[in-house]
Amino acid sequence: MWGRVVEIMLGLWLLLSPFIFEHWQRGETGLWVSDFASGGAIIVFAALSFWQPARFAHVLNLAVAFWLIAWGYFSGGYPSAPGYQNEILVGLVLIFFAIIPTNATQPPKAWRDYYLARAREGIGPKG
Amino acid sequence: MEAAPPGFDYNPSAWFRRVRFSLLAATAMLIAAWMSLYQFELIGGVWDPVFGEGSEKVLTSETARQMDRWLRVPDAALGAWGYMSEAVLALVGGTRRWQHRPWMVILFGIDVILLGGAGVLLVIMQGFVVGAWCTPCLITAAISLILVYMAYDEVWACMKYLWRVWKRTRSGAKVWRVFCGYPLDVAEEAALPRGAG
Repeated sequence: MWGRVVEIMLGLWLLLSPFIFEHWQRGETGLWVSDFASGGAIIVFAALSFWQPARFAHVLNLAVAFWLIAWGYFSGGYPSAPGYQNEILVGLVLIFFAIIPTNATQPPKAWRDYYLARAREGIGPKG
Repeated sequence: MEAAPPGFDYNPSAWFRRVRFSLLAATAMLIAAWMSLYQFELIGGVWDPVFGEGSEKVLTSETARQMDRWLRVPDAALGAWGYMSEAVLALVGGTRRWQHRPWMVILFGIDVILLGGAGVLLVIMQGFVVGAWCTPCLITAAISLILVYMAYDEVWACMKYLWRVWKRTRSGAKVWRVFCGYPLDVAEEAALPRGAG
């Protein structure tokens, strides 16, 4: 749950980034497109993960993360403008949020089903 | 669900242990983020009670600039990212994650060990390459080693659990299933305290 919430916040940050880092003053069209597309994709994948059949959709945010890092790194050059560094850092942070399971604090669904089935057979959780 | 793993008289995945770990990692993250503000040239200096201008020398050294050229972002920002990954990964999963999500615990262990190693490497580079010392850098490096010490028991419990599953099944495929967080009767047995079941 909280992994998805942070992802949505990161997505919103990317949607705001063109205004915060003032891309228009630098004529950075690529950054506009990349920020909006990545931010939108992150929010869509995070929100989709709450729908049971698509519960692993958040893993797709790993692809967005690698896009952000690679695009920010290779098109930013050196010295890198703030907007590119922003993409690199958001991408890096996204990596470890994207791998967090949606109901992370509960056991995985497979283990929950396993314990439920045992309880139904009257075995109960041992130990 | 709060039971200790076999061979332990406490649960290494208990919340208070992991929250404590996470708070310490978050402290190091804040220190590193503050140093990165200096490297981003957003603040004018870094406080160093011991080495005076040492921190600033280290953070603007030729080595730091070279890393900036390679990484495109200040190395302190990358350090803050590393500590953030530890603070976050420590909190993923329930109080039995050493059994139910071994992949997360092992990943967490690899992350913690790599960052501990990076901390040591950076201290060595300060002494031998840069030739100046930086108190906040040394504090965060020390924290990264304390974090290795604090994390090892959970990772150890998880590895012993996977090892017991291996001894009972002799099947790499089954160990892999358990590692990925799928249930098996032998895995449940291997997670019981000694003497029970």
